[in-house]
Amino acid sequence: MKFDVAVVGAGPAGLAAAYRLASSGFKVVVLERGREPGAKELYGGRIYAYWLDKYLPEFRKDAPVDRWVRKERVSLLTEDKALTVELAITQKEKTSFVAPLVSFVSWLSKLAQGAGAKIVTEVTVDALVKDEKGKITGVQSGSDVLQAEYVIDAEGVNRLLLERAGIVKKLEPELVAVGVKEVLKFENKKVLEERLGLDEDEGLAWALAGYPTEYLPGGGFIYTYKDSLALGVVVYLKNWEKLKTPVYDLIEKFRLHPYIAPLVKGVTLQEYGGHMTPVAGINMSPPRYYYDGLLIVGDAAGFLLHTGVLIRGVDFAIASGVLAAEAIKEARSPSAEDLAIYEKKLRESFVLQQLEKFRSADRLLSDESLFRDLALLSTEAAYRYFNIDHNQRTLFEAVREASKKTRVNMLKIMINMIRMLRSL
Amino acid sequence: MSLKYFTIEERLNANAWDVDVHRPHIRIKDPDKCRTCEKKPCTYMCPAKCYVQQGDYVVLSTEACVECGTCRVVCPHGAIEWNYPRSGMGIWYRFT
Repeated sequence: MKFDVAVVGAGPAGLAAAYRLASSGFKVVVLERGREPGAKELYGGRIYAYWLDKYLPEFRKDAPVDRWVRKERVSLLTEDKALTVELAITQKEKTSFVAPLVSFVSWLSKLAQGAGAKIVTEVTVDALVKDEKGKITGVQSGSDVLQAEYVIDAEGVNRLLLERAGIVKKLEPELVAVGVKEVLKFENKKVLEERLGLDEDEGLAWALAGYPTEYLPGGGFIYTYKDSLALGVVVYLKNWEKLKTPVYDLIEKFRLHPYIAPLVKGVTLQEYGGHMTPVAGINMSPPRYYYDGLLIVGDAAGFLLHTGVLIRGVDFAIASGVLAAEAIKEARSPSAEDLAIYEKKLRESFVLQQLEKFRSADRLLSDESLFRDLALLSTEAAYRYFNIDHNQRTLFEAVREASKKTRVNMLKIMINMIRMLRSL
Repeated sequence: MSLKYFTIEERLNANAWDVDVHRPHIRIKDPDKCRTCEKKPCTYMCPAKCYVQQGDYVVLSTEACVECGTCRVVCPHGAIEWNYPRSGMGIWYRFT
């Protein structure tokens, strides 16, 4: 049986492509190694809606949304202090939402199936199949070969297939971080809302830097699902040597921090997982996004934007999947020459424009002193400002004293603040 | 209802998976490289504690692997062979 398009991986990128192509009458098969779509997927917790309105407006009708985010919280955390900034939106805005990725992907797979795409689970693709001229002509699983006119690689960050096909080199530790995540279930949603200070069905997205990663690049995160929350830490692989605690203990240290623990006491642990995440953005992209017979989408293409606080993967994945589908629809043949239109579409869209714009974010965020300096100095300065003794300090005095105590250089931190303002 | 530390074993037990007992998807290609590896980053960076140092060696158990692939990237000696588990096998995320 020959398909027009074979998609590897039933994630947001692969399914969005399959849905679009199937809707236009293409014969599409999606190959997924998990028992069901989403079985091998893990992310932080939040999906941005703004671009989805353009690329997948169907989601507004019936996609599973646990909570619309109306509170953004950022904390700098030390062993005994936390300095938190919160943005609360009082009108009922719907610009980003929290949901388990599994639910969202399951909804998306039903949409694709409804449009006629065939989704085959429990199939592990081992390799991309090439003809003698190097054109990708299908995929291989065990001894089975499936032929397809076009192949879309949506295998995710851990891109073994692209590596085996000689398209990318093995991932370097500089390009990725590992996220470790717990899903913690509350007795009921009321308890969660009371603890986190949320109105009914209101969602919270919370990024924490400093203590969660022993002051190394990366950080902690909390996202509120319906009656559970996602809590995790993200650690850059290249910094592992400076970690004193293994990552599987690091996450528990974070959960049991005196600032966090009261929020999650009495919860039951529903699930525990880990996943790599591309931190280098387009610095980890393959040399090209298209080859003879092949298009690369989502995490495999490095389409994830992160600025320390804001992390966007799913909307980039979906947009790239949709654009790959559009490219195939417009291409006259599966030749690289014709598929170059995919890259053109990526460049004209927010996907590459935004990734280009934040290209230097990674270098700043992986600067080892950044979070350490920020967390130590700002919490200490705030403490000195608020803690009145014989001498009430001006802000400047509080910062200067904190700088002396923490040995964080004020000039350096000011330079870094300017760099942050510019590149994050 | 106190503040309880969840051991890694408790946490992994919360997960659902289908272990491929006949063909582990990760293999240490050359255990001698692990023996001479001073730092053993796999023992620090694997979220599922699949790698445990015993003496000079590293003991690998893949049953509870969460399939992140970190070990292969972080290993400085290229000593780890990593495949996707066979069809349908391995971890099965349901809530993340």
